[in-house]
Amino acid sequence: MAQSNPPFMSGVPELLVLRLLASREMYGYELVKAVRLVTDEAIGLGEGVIYPMLHWLEESGALKAKRRTVNGRTRVYYAATPKGHRRLEHLSDEWRRVSSGVNSALGEPDNA
Amino acid sequence: MPRPHFEDLELTLMHGGVAPYYVQRTMLELHEHYEDLESAALARGMSSEEAAREAHAMLGSEQTIASVILAHPELKAWSCRWPRAAVCLRAALVVATFPEAPVMFCVGRGPEIARWSVAVGLATLLVGLLLSSLNSLIVLG
Repeated sequence: MAQSNPPFMSGVPELLVLRLLASREMYGYELVKAVRLVTDEAIGLGEGVIYPMLHWLEESGALKAKRRTVNGRTRVYYAATPKGHRRLEHLSDEWRRVSSGVNSALGEPDNA
Repeated sequence: MPRPHFEDLELTLMHGGVAPYYVQRTMLELHEHYEDLESAALARGMSSEEAAREAHAMLGSEQTIASVILAHPELKAWSCRWPRAAVCLRAALVVATFPEAPVMFCVGRGPEIARWSVAVGLATLLVGLLLSSLNSLIVLG
């Protein structure tokens, strides 16, 4: 099980969710697994609390949801909308700016 | 370990004013997620007891999920997000529909109203005939 995220990670789960859903549509369980995989388990999203975030992003127009029955199971698939792509760009820029600043403060090479 | 039904969570969300659409969606998604977690644990060779315990732990407590959902005002029903607007709209609807209530009542009740009209008409005719005959008896002696 992934460790809990430190408080300064606020906003990162949203960035990761939008990044993953910008490439392809996924349902909640699939998305949690994908986040763990792409971050080498460094970031663990609360499995049950991912849904409020997905619903909130859907409500804000960044995601669209589609219900589909697959092998007798009802899945709600999420995908990024054009608004979600714009939000992703904005969050990515913010992240690069902040991480570059933190790296500079720590005296490490800039990864951005 | 029993399979969760999330009834407490559902009630908490409903009482908290979360839109019914999102309450139902959350219930569906949590059920599906639990099944996925349990199946994955079983596939890793865990016993059904252990798999259920792990699925519960990974999903998180209902209180935590409820508190996160309730912290998002965007997920609440519009009447909870704008209560004053809801009260005004409700009052306006009542005022608007009040004069139309008898008409709305009659719409779709044509046969009943026709039967009622015929019955009232016949009763009036019968009472009229009875009164006329009584009147005639009195007048003519």
